[in-house]
Amino acid sequence: MWLVRPALPDDVNQILEIAGTAGTEAARLSSTLPRQQAALAEKIEHSLTSLAGKMTAGDRPQRFLFVLEDTVTGKVHGTAGIDARAGNGQPFYNYRRDALIHASHELGISSRVEVLYPSHALTDHTLLCSFSITPELRNTDAFELLSRARILFIASHRRWFSAHAVVEIQGVQCPDGSVPFWNSLGRHFFDMDFETADQHSGTLSKTFIAELMPPNPVYVTLLSDAAQAALGKPHELTVPNFELLHREGFQAGCYLDIFDAGPVLEARTDALHTLVTSQSRTLHGTTEDGGDTCLICAGDGAGFRCTLARVADTLEGPVKVSVGIWEVLGKTAGDEVRVAPC
Amino acid sequence: MLVIRPLQEDNLEDLYAMAQKAGKGLTTLPADRDLLQRKINLARETFSQRCAPEAGLYLFALEDTETGKAVGISGIQARVGLDEVFYNYRLSVTVNASKELGVHVRTPTLHLSNDMTDTSEICSLLLSDDYHGGGNGLLLSRCRFMYLDEFRSHFSEKIFAEMRGVSNEQGLSPLWDALGRKFFDMEFTEADRLSGLGNKAFIAELMPKYPICLPMLPDSARAVIGRVHDNTAPALRMLQAEGFNFNGLVDIFDGGPVVEAFIDTIRTVRDSRNRHAMVTRKAMDLDVPAAERVMVSNRSFRNFRVTTVPASCVGIDTISLPPEVAEALQVESGDPVRLAPLKDRAKSAVKAAR
Repeated sequence: MWLVRPALPDDVNQILEIAGTAGTEAARLSSTLPRQQAALAEKIEHSLTSLAGKMTAGDRPQRFLFVLEDTVTGKVHGTAGIDARAGNGQPFYNYRRDALIHASHELGISSRVEVLYPSHALTDHTLLCSFSITPELRNTDAFELLSRARILFIASHRRWFSAHAVVEIQGVQCPDGSVPFWNSLGRHFFDMDFETADQHSGTLSKTFIAELMPPNPVYVTLLSDAAQAALGKPHELTVPNFELLHREGFQAGCYLDIFDAGPVLEARTDALHTLVTSQSRTLHGTTEDGGDTCLICAGDGAGFRCTLARVADTLEGPVKVSVGIWEVLGKTAGDEVRVAPC
Repeated sequence: MLVIRPLQEDNLEDLYAMAQKAGKGLTTLPADRDLLQRKINLARETFSQRCAPEAGLYLFALEDTETGKAVGISGIQARVGLDEVFYNYRLSVTVNASKELGVHVRTPTLHLSNDMTDTSEICSLLLSDDYHGGGNGLLLSRCRFMYLDEFRSHFSEKIFAEMRGVSNEQGLSPLWDALGRKFFDMEFTEADRLSGLGNKAFIAELMPKYPICLPMLPDSARAVIGRVHDNTAPALRMLQAEGFNFNGLVDIFDGGPVVEAFIDTIRTVRDSRNRHAMVTRKAMDLDVPAAERVMVSNRSFRNFRVTTVPASCVGIDTISLPPEVAEALQVESGDPVRLAPLKDRAKSAVKAAR
């Protein structure tokens, strides 16, 4: 059975392994997941503190990291995170793709000029991040569980999160590892390769972006053709994730990643599909193994558990699932759970 | 004899022929009769002080007294950017550094500016092919500094010149193709032609307003920023010898440099001396090399005349002028005149005669 639960200090090595075995592809898909043991351990520690709900206004904003566990083997197969406030107390950088009309009445010319404006507008929005999964699980129920469990967590802890949610989708990268947008823009200013910059943004403070990023708007027409073609385009490996988030209600707007120009998806938190369709119900047992597969979660903070279960009756009243699910969720009959249809 | 004097109405055809021959690249003097006529009219108004001082356009003709034809032209625009907006790019450097990462990156950047607004510009220099050499180009250019010196209140303290930037035989400009062209589909020659017709500000309104980081431009475009066209290199050297320097501004179309100097420091101005004319019937050899000649002006606002005479004519208080020269300058014995060296080496001739 697949279980999504908060990451624990003991998970460090297994998480690093996912990044390692999945090769650069998967590692790239979750640039906000540190690849250094110490940094990862700290991230998990921060997540546990956040889950305890003891953070005060002066503390760093809450950040959560969950793992996907195979309950039979106890092995971790993926990670998914939420930053309650994008930027985590620092500016959250994006480019906003906008347009100006350069017109001359006298010359009878009017042309549309596309411009990328540096923006912090998405700072403090809730950010879904740090998503990674072992390649063989891509496009499975486990993939969907891992991603959507976060929305259920948000639904169960709504007051911790903002009115708007965002997700950064990885942008176009060539088979040789080069990133067209970076090569045409960022490279000139950061004086480092894409991987280095990307890792820095996951681990270092964002100060280096403020220091090195060109402060001016960028004219799209001056970018290389390859970079222009990459604007707002998701990496092909992210397409399943992109589609899943789309079904969830996320839409690509005018914001782009500053390094690879991947799209930033936006949604109103209260309109997220899983959140809207989820219901708080009472847990009840059944011996039958029928019904529709649903996402089911329970528990507050560090006790949060989410799994997939066949639910006999999903219309109303108590939710009837097998006792095995009780154990995975750490709950018993009469406890409150949250259910969302798949 | 070649004499500088204000451009006249009857110079239109000569001017048109010269503009036609010059072809592309001389933005301020397109081969367009109506436009040239308007310029001549404005110049006439300017010399007769019938227009506002800041709107003045001072155009001088180099006239061959034997044929009565204008064989060259040069000008001073009293002020730029007053009735339309005058644009340049300022080439400056932005440094982005991160101590944390040990990164220190310098990025040359073009900023759109109107910094030359309200400044006097020397412009429109054109010399007929048959008259190249012999210091005629120097006379045509440097006579303007004598005029600026005499009538400083009509001009700004700072004087500038826009130098023609790099373009090839087909009229393609690397900077235009990499920058201006990307913003609206127009050939450089067409943009240049429209500029000459007075539409430069309109075109500038279509150009990018935000700074342009040079690393984003192709090498071919970066290489020509602040560089002059090969044909303009001698003119640049002449201005540099006068004390003009690149001021960090470049043309928004072709990247040609703007050079500037303050009137006080222009060499021709510093080396000018006052004398009184002394018309003499004594035979003298007027045909000496350019290096041994000095420019003589009649110091007239409305009817400014300049020609060159051998440095040997210069005396302690006077300068000896043969009658035909005095007539060309429209001076008589006793009238004040002003002298300046035509070439570097003639400077010593003027000084020696002090």
